[in-house]
Amino acid sequence: MSAVWRAARAAVHRRKLQTFVIGLVVLLCTATGVVSLALLDAVSAPFDRAFEAQRGAQVVATYDPARVSDDQLIGASTGLTAIAGPFPQVVIEPAGDAGSFLGGRPLTVAGRADPGGAVDQLDLWHGRWPSGPGEIVLAAEPHPDDYDLGPFADTTTVTAGRVTLRVVGWAFSISGSADGWVTPAQAAALHPTATQMLYRFAGDVATRDALKARVAGVATGLPGGALLSAQPYLVLKEKAAAQPGTYLPFLATFGVLGLLVAVIIVGNVVSGAVVSGLRHIGVLKAIGFTPRQVVAVYLTMVGVPAVAGAVLGTLLGANAAQPMLVSTFRGLGFGQEAGTRAWVWAAGLIGVPMIVLLAALLPARRAHRLSAAEVISAGSAPRRGHGLRVQRALSATRLPRSVSLGLGLPFARPGRTALTLATLVLGVTTVTFAVGLSDSVVRITGLGDQAAGQIGVRAYNTDERATTTRTDAQVEELLRGMPGTARIATYLNQSVSVVGSSEPILVNFGRGEVAAMGYEAQLLEGHWIDGPDQVVAPSQLLNRRGLRVGDQLTVVLGGGRRAITVVGETMSGAPGPVGLFADWQLLDQLDPGRKLIPFEYRYQVQVTEGTDLDGYAAAVRAADPGLYSWNDAGDSSFAVVVTSFAGVVSVLLAVVTALGVLNTVALTVHDRRRDLGMLKSIGMTPRQVVAMMVTSVAALGVAGGLAGIPLGMVAHRFIVPLAARAAAIRLPGEVLRVWRPGLLALLVLSGVLIAVLGALLPARAAARVSIAQVLHNE
Amino acid sequence: MVRLDGVRKEYGETAALDGVSLEIYPGEAVAVMGPSGCGKSTLLNMIAGLDRPAAGTVEVHGERLDTMTETGLALFRRHHLGMIFQFFNLLDDLPALDNVALAAQLTGSKAGPARKRALELLGELGIADRRNVYPAALSGGERQRVAVARALMNRPALLLADEPTGALDSKAGEQVMDLLLDLNQIGQTLLIVTHDERLAHRCASRLVELGDGTVVRESALERL
Ligand SMILES: Nc1ncnc2c1ncn2[C@@H]1O[C@H](COP(=O)(O)OP(=O)(O)O)[C@@H](O)[C@H]1O
Ligand SMILES: [Mg+2]
Repeated sequence: MSAVWRAARAAVHRRKLQTFVIGLVVLLCTATGVVSLALLDAVSAPFDRAFEAQRGAQVVATYDPARVSDDQLIGASTGLTAIAGPFPQVVIEPAGDAGSFLGGRPLTVAGRADPGGAVDQLDLWHGRWPSGPGEIVLAAEPHPDDYDLGPFADTTTVTAGRVTLRVVGWAFSISGSADGWVTPAQAAALHPTATQMLYRFAGDVATRDALKARVAGVATGLPGGALLSAQPYLVLKEKAAAQPGTYLPFLATFGVLGLLVAVIIVGNVVSGAVVSGLRHIGVLKAIGFTPRQVVAVYLTMVGVPAVAGAVLGTLLGANAAQPMLVSTFRGLGFGQEAGTRAWVWAAGLIGVPMIVLLAALLPARRAHRLSAAEVISAGSAPRRGHGLRVQRALSATRLPRSVSLGLGLPFARPGRTALTLATLVLGVTTVTFAVGLSDSVVRITGLGDQAAGQIGVRAYNTDERATTTRTDAQVEELLRGMPGTARIATYLNQSVSVVGSSEPILVNFGRGEVAAMGYEAQLLEGHWIDGPDQVVAPSQLLNRRGLRVGDQLTVVLGGGRRAITVVGETMSGAPGPVGLFADWQLLDQLDPGRKLIPFEYRYQVQVTEGTDLDGYAAAVRAADPGLYSWNDAGDSSFAVVVTSFAGVVSVLLAVVTALGVLNTVALTVHDRRRDLGMLKSIGMTPRQVVAMMVTSVAALGVAGGLAGIPLGMVAHRFIVPLAARAAAIRLPGEVLRVWRPGLLALLVLSGVLIAVLGALLPARAAARVSIAQVLHNE
Repeated sequence: MVRLDGVRKEYGETAALDGVSLEIYPGEAVAVMGPSGCGKSTLLNMIAGLDRPAAGTVEVHGERLDTMTETGLALFRRHHLGMIFQFFNLLDDLPALDNVALAAQLTGSKAGPARKRALELLGELGIADRRNVYPAALSGGERQRVAVARALMNRPALLLADEPTGALDSKAGEQVMDLLLDLNQIGQTLLIVTHDERLAHRCASRLVELGDGTVVRESALERL
């Protein structure tokens, strides 16, 4: 093997450009691939790992204590591998001044003696477990920073009715089994309305249907109607996956494009090495290298830089993925699990070199077949015919000679030209897709931002622990008088019961300029509220509840009950938890006697163009210290992540494509150095040589642009809606109509630019080819 | 040493070799001459196992080359044949010494002994001081001497030369001729393809004249 190694090592040493191109291409493509794979892997894996670690409940079931006894529930264990409970459960409605963390929502509280057990082992990440009555532990995702930061410190007690509970700790349940826990005795004192059971099953738990069947199995022996609800873990799993799931189609697209480009370029580089190494191969064979050894020399030549590129690329990719993983999963309660897993490393370190070697094998087999006699005797490969015919046709045109010579070059080696063209097409496809994607994402967040309003105001100031003395109408009047106010909407955020469903539904009763906030503009279907008993719903809510525009619901609040109709679907909902849009009238009709307290409201303000948001928020607080006001401009981190990822990947692939072009032109220069010497000897200037070489690829750049743009547009058309579906939202058509003639022209230019940039370096080298040297070396 | 019988080779319509029969005995120095394009190189390639005949048999050093596999031919070449070409065909990637040593390493020699013998050969050919120079920087005569050293590395039974002086000036050509003559005189079997009368008469003991793919005449030569 040592002769093979020597020959290959010498070839690697002496072909620095080729070695460098292979190494760099493999490095960049590996890095892109590893980032994509690591993020893809992370989409569901951290949830699964945390779920297993905490022995999460596959189903959280609640039973009616009036119909079934605790002993019956303990006895019903068909098909279970683990069971926890019974835990008495009650829903309490904390008073609104409980602090910003609770925000007035109802809390499901379970009575548990300890946080451990066979199912749903809670992560008690701060404080201690309740030891007696009057104490509660609240549910929250583990907080990365000190306890004294954030809203947690604010929340020291929970008051509901006449009971006040002191917050003694914070815990996280991956099963989402409750919002708070008290001792069983305290729970009993709160008059529990349900009994909670936590289940883990033997057998298939992959789908909702399977889980439903398992729960039915458990409940067979129990009195009819005893089961109130059964929440499958899949709901939480999907929720955890929804955010990164949005990235998935983008990542997959970029990953596939990157791998394709890598394979084609490596194939092209290697076959180029074989073609330009014809004489080299002939000599190796003449002195007694077996065909297999010649293949080994060529595979080693490629393998050395490929392995180096794969190792560095994997390290780079894993490092680049880390912060993205952490930021994506922070706050989901398992950010600490976000490491790049072994199979991703293996894919980079072993998979990529395998792909490269496979790509190299095809052209290397050609080295195997080549007859030594064919290439060795004459000193150069015989010319082929088709290139000459094109060249003759071109020379008859009126183009400058250097341009027509350049246009003819691609036809001399159709195989190499085809591969170079393919990489240019993919490069332009990537750039097109990335540009379209960024534009769409910016539009989506733009729509969201507009609808979110830019300023949020509450009538309770947590900082000052003060409440305004103004009525809701007076607050509105104050805000309307502030300089910079453009529009105001007022919401009351209230859960209402739905007849026939165990889960209440959240409604944002609104008045003021709700429609004009941008919600009407982002209607996907139906129309805005224009009559009584109408509601509009964001698509996320419709998807979650299995509703459609046109459906009717009967809702109950206080003593009132009304049938409402969903008349429209919007892309996003009002700020805060996802809920229905309803008119204020509906609230009056449902619960006419309801006493409204100022701090139950939330005001949404849109300011006029150019208003300083933080300044406005401060001015509101200054005008009335009892008001809390904050800059609520849309959180555009999603847009930032997507656009920066798209930008980085398209620059990477453009560089890789330019490297592929560089390699092609370098090979052409190498093949044609005798012709170049001849052309120069008869008077072609260096400038003309550069023009000739650049022309040879600029034409390919135009062709690549013309073919790559439609492909990129098609990818954009399919993949953006796919991502939206993963995020459980629908998109208005306007978001996809991003293509303008000017942009398209620029994209064609991007193909030419990639090609010309790649060609420039070797074209300059061609211009410097020394006639004397060419003639000296044969 | 070499026995060709009715060897035929075509490129497209034209026959480069058309029924050539030829025998070469151990210790002989045979020159093949003829006008350009008459099939000299093709004949040499047949004997070197670089190409296969369409018909006829090729036997070299007791082995039938026309029926051997590619790998078999490579192993045969590496052990029994040495070749030199008009355009030298050195590996541009390797300096002179490594070009020569590589041939021995192919047969399994260790790098150390291989380089030692390569250096000896370069010394005998008078270019030991050029051992670390890459082919591109060597003169034509120097390159051809490196090629000769490489060909001799494995002590071949038969040394084949295709226009060894064709790309050299007269002085360098003379030196290569002397070299080949010396080799033959210490028993090296030689087959030289050339259209240089002086080379043939200086080095060869027998002349084979080729014309349009057939042997036109064979004659013994008096060395000058
Ligand atoms: N690889 C090849 N492809 C096509 N024709 C060839 C090839 N090699 C040689 N020939 C043709 O075969 C004939 C003999 O060539 P060759 O043996 O090289 O001649 P010589 O060495 O005597 O000049 C010539 O007509 C040449 O054109
Ligand atoms: Mg010849």
